[in-house]
Amino acid sequence: MEMFDAIQANLLSPAVLFFALGLIAAIAKSDLKFPEPLYVGLTIYLLVAIGFKGGVAIAEAGIAKVWLPAIAAMLLGAIIPLWTYPVLRVGGKFPAADAAAIAAHYGSVSAVTFIAATNYLKAIDLPFENYASAFLAVMESPAILVGVVIGKLAGKKAVDTSFIASIKSATHEAIFGRSIFLLVGSLIAGWLCGEPGMKKVEAFFVAPFQGVLALFLLDMGVVAGRRVGDLKKVGAFLLGFGILVPLINGTLGVLLGKLTGLSLGGATLLGVLSASASYIAAPAAIRISLPDANPTLYLTSALAITFPFNITLGIPIYLEIARLIYR
Amino acid sequence: MATYPMKLVTIVCEAYALDPVKSLLREVGAHGWTHFPVEGAGEGGERTGDIKEFANVQIEVVINPDAADTLLSRLEKELFSLYCMIAFESNVRVIRSGKF
Repeated sequence: MEMFDAIQANLLSPAVLFFALGLIAAIAKSDLKFPEPLYVGLTIYLLVAIGFKGGVAIAEAGIAKVWLPAIAAMLLGAIIPLWTYPVLRVGGKFPAADAAAIAAHYGSVSAVTFIAATNYLKAIDLPFENYASAFLAVMESPAILVGVVIGKLAGKKAVDTSFIASIKSATHEAIFGRSIFLLVGSLIAGWLCGEPGMKKVEAFFVAPFQGVLALFLLDMGVVAGRRVGDLKKVGAFLLGFGILVPLINGTLGVLLGKLTGLSLGGATLLGVLSASASYIAAPAAIRISLPDANPTLYLTSALAITFPFNITLGIPIYLEIARLIYR
Repeated sequence: MATYPMKLVTIVCEAYALDPVKSLLREVGAHGWTHFPVEGAGEGGERTGDIKEFANVQIEVVINPDAADTLLSRLEKELFSLYCMIAFESNVRVIRSGKF
């Protein structure tokens, strides 16, 4: 019953309702469509706001509290592709490049899923460490790099540029790609300014945040909904993978959160991060460094299976898993 | 007014291919080019352009016929297998031949 209430509370939040509205619009072939620059604009706002808030929280809490769970998060991000790759190769019979690309997406993280989770925890009044967005920042790149290295080592047909050049372009994209760059930059800015800085930008970055998130999820609903037709192309294995693997990774994340001393809310967030799949930073890096991987596979699974699952059911489920572990 | 024959090469490709195409353009000696976001549909399905992952760009470059040949054959050899892309050339006449 508890689980049912938790899911219901999540489904009735404005963010999730607008996501559903976007999905319906796309599936019903409504002409609703956000222009790409607006999508980019909304992403920038959300990443800067969450990064800045996280940086201020690090300044308040002190770096001593943050580093251990942050390193654990980073390691987990790097490990996820190492176990999901063989599953995709053997279980899903995917070619090396595709398996490595999908594995990289699942090890990397989705900022919006994380933001939706912090929103949900706020709505149900469960406290969490505000500096958790530092974990978001450090978890984005390691998996991408690990995935590219696996894909390059395993891929026998070297049609594209050399190994080193690919790793270089992936590293550049993984560190200077817009999402990670903005997030880390804003974290540092927030950390340097601390609370007095927050007071100055609060009116812009905090108060309108919920509304911007709702608008962004409306757009994401449309984008994900347009991919629903591709579900047929990716097959049953990836469909199951896109739901089961987040549940396993989510549990791993919660356990690691507990081990490194996070609160119930913080461990839930680490669970959500581990469970989420990237669809901004990872596709950009992978498309450039593993071009023979099929984008339909990784984009559809991250965007049209895992993202909707996490936003609607996943987040409350990870919280319940965390409750069981913290009991 | 004197005009000179040149080739206009048009490349329509996924947004992620823009950087590799631009470095190829530099290598074959193009002095300048224009690119703009476009939407459409092709073998790989619809390219709605709502996010960069599903966006297309069109690149246009005016170059001399020899460079156009090199460009098209290198595109075919190096990039066609990696990215969603089409390319074609057409005859154009320009006023200042030295500019291209």
